[in-house]
Amino acid sequence: MNEFEPKIVGFLCNWCAYSGADLAGVSRMKMAPNVRSIRVMCTGRVDPTFILKAFACGADGVLIGGCHPGDCHYAEGNYKALRRSVFLKRMLKEQGIDPQRLRIEWISASEGDKYAKVVDEMTETIRALGPLNQRNKEMINA
Amino acid sequence: MNQKIGVFICHCGTNIAATVDVEEVTQFMAQQPNVEYSTNNLFMCSQPGQLMLQRYIKRKGLNGVVVAACSPQMHELTFRKACEEAGLNRYLFQMANIREQCSWIHDDRAQATEKAKAIVNAAVRRVAWQEALEISHVKINPHTMIVGAGIGGIQAALEIAESGNQVYLVERESTIGGRMAQFDKTFPTLDCAACILTPKMVSVGHRKNINLMTLSEVEKVEGFIGNFTVTVRTKARYVTDACTSCGACVKACPVEVPNWFEGLLGKKTAIYKLFPQAVPNTYVIDKEETPPCIEACPIRQEAAGYVALIRDRKFKEAAQLIRLRNPLPAVCGRVCYHPCETECNRGYVDQPIAIQHLKRFALDWARQRNIELVPPKIERREEKVAIIGSGPAGLTCAHDLAVKGYQVTVYERSSLLGGLLGLGIPAYRLPRHLLREEISYLRDLGIDFRTNVTLGKSFSLEQLKQQGFKAIFLAIGAQSGVKIEIPGENTEGVYSGVDFLRRFNLGVRTALGKKVAVIGGGNTALDAARTALRLGAERVVIHYRRTRSEMPASPYEIEDTEAEGVAIHYLIAPIKIAKAHRSLQMTCVNMQLGEPDASGRRRPISISGSEHQLEFDNIIVAISQKPEIEVLADEKGVPHLALTPWGTLQVDQDSLVTNQEGVFAGGDVVLGPSTVIASMGLGRRAAESIDKYLNGQPLVDFKTHMPKPIVPRGETFRPHRYSPMFKDLPKQKRVEMSKLDPKIRNRDFSEVEIGFSEEEAVREATRCLNCGVCVECLECVKVCDPEAIDHEMQDRVQQIKVGQILLSTGYDVFDARVMSQYGYGKLDNVLSGIEFERMLSATGGTGGKILCKNGQPPRAVAVIHCVGSRDENYHKYCSRVCCMYALKFAHLVKDRTKAEVYQFYIDMRAYGKGFEEFYKRVLLEGTNVIRGKVAEVVESGWSNKEEGHLIVRCEDTLIGKFREIPVDMVVLCSALEPRQDTAKVRQLFSISLSPDGFFLERHPKLDPTSTMTDGVYIAGCCQGPKDIPDTVAQASSAAARILATAQKGEVEIDPIRAQIKEELCSGCRMCNSVCPYFAISFDEQKKISIINDALCKGCGTCVATCPASAITGKGFTDQQIYAEIEGVLA
Repeated sequence: MNEFEPKIVGFLCNWCAYSGADLAGVSRMKMAPNVRSIRVMCTGRVDPTFILKAFACGADGVLIGGCHPGDCHYAEGNYKALRRSVFLKRMLKEQGIDPQRLRIEWISASEGDKYAKVVDEMTETIRALGPLNQRNKEMINA
Repeated sequence: MNQKIGVFICHCGTNIAATVDVEEVTQFMAQQPNVEYSTNNLFMCSQPGQLMLQRYIKRKGLNGVVVAACSPQMHELTFRKACEEAGLNRYLFQMANIREQCSWIHDDRAQATEKAKAIVNAAVRRVAWQEALEISHVKINPHTMIVGAGIGGIQAALEIAESGNQVYLVERESTIGGRMAQFDKTFPTLDCAACILTPKMVSVGHRKNINLMTLSEVEKVEGFIGNFTVTVRTKARYVTDACTSCGACVKACPVEVPNWFEGLLGKKTAIYKLFPQAVPNTYVIDKEETPPCIEACPIRQEAAGYVALIRDRKFKEAAQLIRLRNPLPAVCGRVCYHPCETECNRGYVDQPIAIQHLKRFALDWARQRNIELVPPKIERREEKVAIIGSGPAGLTCAHDLAVKGYQVTVYERSSLLGGLLGLGIPAYRLPRHLLREEISYLRDLGIDFRTNVTLGKSFSLEQLKQQGFKAIFLAIGAQSGVKIEIPGENTEGVYSGVDFLRRFNLGVRTALGKKVAVIGGGNTALDAARTALRLGAERVVIHYRRTRSEMPASPYEIEDTEAEGVAIHYLIAPIKIAKAHRSLQMTCVNMQLGEPDASGRRRPISISGSEHQLEFDNIIVAISQKPEIEVLADEKGVPHLALTPWGTLQVDQDSLVTNQEGVFAGGDVVLGPSTVIASMGLGRRAAESIDKYLNGQPLVDFKTHMPKPIVPRGETFRPHRYSPMFKDLPKQKRVEMSKLDPKIRNRDFSEVEIGFSEEEAVREATRCLNCGVCVECLECVKVCDPEAIDHEMQDRVQQIKVGQILLSTGYDVFDARVMSQYGYGKLDNVLSGIEFERMLSATGGTGGKILCKNGQPPRAVAVIHCVGSRDENYHKYCSRVCCMYALKFAHLVKDRTKAEVYQFYIDMRAYGKGFEEFYKRVLLEGTNVIRGKVAEVVESGWSNKEEGHLIVRCEDTLIGKFREIPVDMVVLCSALEPRQDTAKVRQLFSISLSPDGFFLERHPKLDPTSTMTDGVYIAGCCQGPKDIPDTVAQASSAAARILATAQKGEVEIDPIRAQIKEELCSGCRMCNSVCPYFAISFDEQKKISIINDALCKGCGTCVATCPASAITGKGFTDQQIYAEIEGVLA
């Protein structure tokens, strides 16, 4: 089997998306194994350098999962994450990286099904885009 | 860095090991840098697992531990404590989630194993960067807030109060008791719900350390476990503690709205008590937003109130209510432009209520019967106030001040009192005897009227002050006609509209020919035209320079004018008037509409070349009016008072005071030509302002009304919370008032509108939607002997500090109307479970008798299970209580009637203590049970069976046959569903929902009462459907948890906090603005930002924001997360 298996890093907030991912597990929902999650307290903690670091270390995609607007455990961290992601997507595009490689999603603690759907969708999107090439990674590193 | 990390991988029985090759992961991890020891165990969380962990920490001298098992939300704390017991700081431990986020979601063993390696590897790399941290402790405020006072909230409140700690019990309704108070008997023991609930309610009321807050809702929650600050709004009850619960007010109240407590069956009045044993046992007035009719009225006339009284045939009371605060009721009943009707909610359904006609009806009714409307009692005061001008503004101000006891003198230039009411408005719209009656009522209040005295000639403001008048109100109106400024305007035979009307009303003859032109599009133009017609003009033509839709006159006046034969020509303007032989020649141009001007109306533009001549005997110019400011000027013409650029008086918008102390102004002299009611509004405000001024109070915080613009309401709006939406309300045509035949009416000045008959008035008043529930008719105040009713009561907002919060907010009942096949809401005798409970209850509408709508007991009753629950279309879950209460219903029907009972069920769930036995008992009593989901309930009138009964159609799945069962009554076991405002409440308290929409507990089995937010607990049906015993058990469990925490006195707080490295901080302050808790401030001396540890919650937003990496997120440092990223990707 030589098919390309994308590596996706998921930054999930403790209160919503990480709990939603856990719920998907408790509900035994099957999904692609390509997303590896990193728990943060809030998507507001997701420093743009984390995303660049992930791409530089070999990630083909990055998923940010936070609380729905208005639901943030810390009032408004998710809005800040959204703002940063918009900016970052533009920056990635300038570097020749398809902005679809960065995805931000609102997933509540009760949306295990949504998490599974997002993981599968994103895996397919990145699979279609192919691996992030070495030159881009080096550019980020530099 | 000398790292010795231990890796412990859990099989979790087969939960992990079945999908992940635990042994392979163990071997792989053993080869990773810094890993001192790697092993696995069947159950790491078990005692042997934990002991092994502790053994290796000591034996191998581990300085970092990774357990790869379930989610950290499950067992992180377990392992942290185990590490700590073994002497390792708990923050040197990291958990790798290879169950929920790996083994349970994948099937491919190879892939899952690879992923598990990455996850564990990430944790190992991360832990190498972790540091020992100190837990911080915070003191716990021992007080508790309980939100929702159903049986769960009551139980917890009593148990917590037993400890001596303070409890704040917040309840949205007017009484505690919740759903249980609606029930008759409880299953399976059949004890009476009230008998076991009400003693508990009473003790809640008596407990000194339970602060009972009914009609209250939480608006805001700040802080964290141990130190919450909760903002609670308590709605005004409008009834004080003096209430003796006698119930006289209920009989007096004219309002009737559906009573949710009785389902769709019952009605309640605006002042009410939900049930006799309510706690607190005080009546309450249901008052929502001020109805739009009252809100739109500049004098805040209680329109909704008198409409409701007319509906109740209390005509005298209606007239009295109108009179109470309106100094010119008969005038308003005839000539007001009724903004109340413009804003009337009924207008969104079909047509607005004829509020003005109803007002006129009530007053005419009282006058025809010589019923004297009693003026209020007046306490005399010595201060003298002068009012200049006796128009609507002056008279209103005079009235209000006289009622307050001031010595009021009104000065009027003309010989007639009433200003434009008498001098402008023609008698066919406002009969003069009515105006005289209004003024005589005012005279009876003690107001001194002086006529034929002119300001600036007979007296001056200075003289008034010298005569001892402490305040002066200027309401001289805008009675000077504005000129068009065209050549020939001063030709003989050309009149100004106001002058023409004034002269006529004063009885001065004005020569008028056969053909009359009127210029202008306002009400004065129409009045002049219609008056000219009545004076014998044969042809009257109104010329207006815009189109009908821009005309400022009231549309109904335009219609009347046209009906009388006045022609209206649009888009035409005069440019020259000249004397021609015996008549006048008016040169006009045609106009077209251009861009909108400052007034928002489209600007008329003349069409060149369209000049033409018209001939008339007389021309009346009625384009606008302005105040006669000359009377306020000195000999040189310099005005004494400040003016606006429009030539009106300049006043303070709120207090109406002019630039001279003690001199106030209102009405048209401030507004420019406006309306009767707008002028009255300013008169009223001026009276309040003058009262404040004379009492030495600052001229702020006015209570009198200034109408606010009311937002348009859509078809889904409800006039009050018990009403259907506008689009679902039945339509009913407005009752039109009869008018004199246009053919005869222009013969004289008889009143054109004839008035409503009693029947017409009642019919029209019945159309009122009762917006806002209470209509402020004040009937309850009259009958309340202990004087317990206070309509002025205000909402109260309090900030309450508590340590912990319990939510027991209950459930809503599924609205079975959406399942139209069961006919609920359409067919009589199809009831919801709650309605049937109320029918069974001794305090319900039938006093406990089971009766069909026709008053007869049913001969057969069907009980349909699972309405809205266990249904893919609505709620998938089982509502748990329905089977048993359905059986209870069966028993009670059998007990109280001779009816057959049919239970239509899917599965009979009798899982609790004594439930199965109860099921057997009900079966033995002869209840029929049919297994199958009911297809539909239909009225049986169409078949040859008896009419007016119901047929239940269903497939009996046990015998495999389709059945049709005739019954008289159907009871639906509707689902229990999350409260409609669950989403809002969840956000307030920062807790989550489970997929069914109920509040999410921390763990479904081991921690069903806490939430993910420390210090916030849940109990009862807000967490999921459950019966009373389960609710009580959960509430008691929450109480125990709360007390244990309070007893401890302090809680541990994770040291996950942001920290600033002073040497790196450049003082850019970007972090200050991103912190949602305002925990970061700028130290002006050190020129760096500093973090208040007590306020920081550890979200890390500032860490990600800092451009200099000067902020560290303890527990989630950049280095730790970088290491994790490298790990998952390695």
